[in-house]
Amino acid sequence: MQIFDKLRILADGAKYDVSCATSGVDRKNAGRIGNASCMGICHSWSADGRCISLMKVLLSNRCVYDCEYCINRRSQDVARASFEPEELAELAIEFYRRNYIEGLFLSSAVDGSPDRTAERMLRTLSLLREDHGFAGYIHAKIIPGVSPELIHKIGMVADRISVNIEFATEHGLKKLAPQKKTPDIFLPMKQITETIADRKQLGISFRSYPGSVVTAASDLRYLQPEEATGLSLPPRGKYKERFAPAGQSTQMIIGASGETDRQIIKTSEGLYNSFKMKRVYYSAYISLISSPGLPPLMTAPPLAREHRLYQTDWLMRFYGFRADEILGEGNPFLDLEMDPKAAWALSHLEQFPVEINKASKEELLRIPGVGLVSAGRILRQRRIAAVRFEDLKKIGVVMKRAKYFITCAGRYYGDCELEPAALRNRLINGERCTDRLSLIGDGAQISMFL
Amino acid sequence: MGLKLKMDYLYDGSFEGFLSCVYQNYYEEKASGIYRQDSYQNNLLRSCRYVETDEIHAQKVYEAVASKISEQALKRVYCVFLSCFDGRENIALDYLRLGFRMGYSVDALHSHPVVFEAQRIAQKVSFEAHRLTGLIRFSALSLSPDKELLYARIQPDHGVLELLGEHFSDRLKGDPFIIHDARRGKALYSAEGQWHIAPIDEKALPCRSEQEEVYRRMWKEYFKTISIEQRVNPACQRRMMPARYWKNLTEMQIRRS
Repeated sequence: MQIFDKLRILADGAKYDVSCATSGVDRKNAGRIGNASCMGICHSWSADGRCISLMKVLLSNRCVYDCEYCINRRSQDVARASFEPEELAELAIEFYRRNYIEGLFLSSAVDGSPDRTAERMLRTLSLLREDHGFAGYIHAKIIPGVSPELIHKIGMVADRISVNIEFATEHGLKKLAPQKKTPDIFLPMKQITETIADRKQLGISFRSYPGSVVTAASDLRYLQPEEATGLSLPPRGKYKERFAPAGQSTQMIIGASGETDRQIIKTSEGLYNSFKMKRVYYSAYISLISSPGLPPLMTAPPLAREHRLYQTDWLMRFYGFRADEILGEGNPFLDLEMDPKAAWALSHLEQFPVEINKASKEELLRIPGVGLVSAGRILRQRRIAAVRFEDLKKIGVVMKRAKYFITCAGRYYGDCELEPAALRNRLINGERCTDRLSLIGDGAQISMFL
Repeated sequence: MGLKLKMDYLYDGSFEGFLSCVYQNYYEEKASGIYRQDSYQNNLLRSCRYVETDEIHAQKVYEAVASKISEQALKRVYCVFLSCFDGRENIALDYLRLGFRMGYSVDALHSHPVVFEAQRIAQKVSFEAHRLTGLIRFSALSLSPDKELLYARIQPDHGVLELLGEHFSDRLKGDPFIIHDARRGKALYSAEGQWHIAPIDEKALPCRSEQEEVYRRMWKEYFKTISIEQRVNPACQRRMMPARYWKNLTEMQIRRS
């Protein structure tokens, strides 16, 4: 088979993996070709509007597993192919030289056995790093069931490694991926976290999540943060080489196994807390397979829901929100019409309005329409000169949302009462014209959940 | 003495030239504006003077900005200078004047009109440079049977070539390459980690290497394949990757190139 056809088949099999991040590691060119930029670089955007930064391929799509939801499962009728490690390494280098890509994202179906697959992946990555002197970004997927030694070796050549959790609940995993066992997912995650912690790389890797201090994962089940017991690891000797310097990430499928948003964000919070994940990705389920356990074919992917989950994820990682604050007991789903911060503010109106010139950073970050950049600018400018209402727009605050929740030098500028129903109407009808996602999503959600 | 004429300073277009004018503004006569000599429109109500670029004066101003205002201010002013906006020199000059009066706190006066304008423009310039670190596409040209030269053509809004040198010459230190700013007729030349900017003669370029077409085809096929049909969203694609960049992107050329 020509390499052209292999590329088509194996990129097609990899495209449902979401992660394309190339951030989290800064590295000068110490080899012959390549470097990495901490902020990440996107190289193109495909027709679906998703960024392309890594060449995302499977090493093979021949799979011994038969997971219900997966297009590469054994019983599926698709063209099968495998790259030779040499040809894939060379292709990656040629793409990289032309600046098509920022690096390689390598995953694979379980071809033969998990260890056999991981060995071939490791061979490809080692060829890239050693024979080609490649110093660019590598993201490697860990297949459930791989031996700890191989995970370690892969972590030593990759920048980021990830094990997909796939479903937010154990029930979902049992139902749709019966051959994958929970320990096969959580043991590698735990090993990766512990190795990273052991090498004292946490200061850099974990800045994004303001959760508790380093705790090694205590429980391998789908844990909630309060259940994760503190178990800090004693620092050991110094290591020259870094293990997965860009940390680990994972991915969940949204809308295939009937989980609630609350279950999803609680699981995410647990993952951030106990495994110190850099990112949890959410992937709206696209129904390509007809099966009684899955949503019917032609169900539109729940894009609006995925979008709101990402917003919530941001609130948890950068804005100091806990999952319970956003979705409490008895509140299983996110509001699709309104962003989660505005929805939170509407149910906590007693905390508003906030005075822009007095509020703490934490309070500023909880105002709808104020982001990390604008909060930082407000704080900096406040030290030199008072912030006036007309300054806020220039500072980058989204006034159509923020004006209802703030006072500036004691004055309130909102044009309606601070009352949930009226505000909700204002916020949604103001947002509706620009937020097209929520329009697309409404239909999709109805067919799935009502 | 009657009416005192306003004094515009003219310079040769280099950053050093601009800084020399700033020097004159402080040590000779206050400038009413700074303009490139080749695009200056003479005006009866103003007088003008050409300021010779002086390395020592430029160096003095450069260091004064870094030490008396801030490194960030220096970077911001440089980015404003590289932008394509008319009157960019005067926006930079206003920023420096305010900065020398206020010190480093000028950088945090986000809503001051002068700071807001400079910040907005500098952000556009550095964002375009960042964007291009991804959107540049090299083609392999054949220097000899076993040696290739990488060549990329860009048409950026702003003069960001200077901001790309470090990134690419580190990344591709094993490959000699040229990034050609076709809008400004100059190019970044790099080999073995060193780079410089000079004019370019397109006709002198060698022809494409044999393998080039193969990789282009594969990249286009990859680009097409990786998109998920059920999520197609051309508006989002266009927002992230504006159409003005498409003409130099391999994957956006539908016909065989």
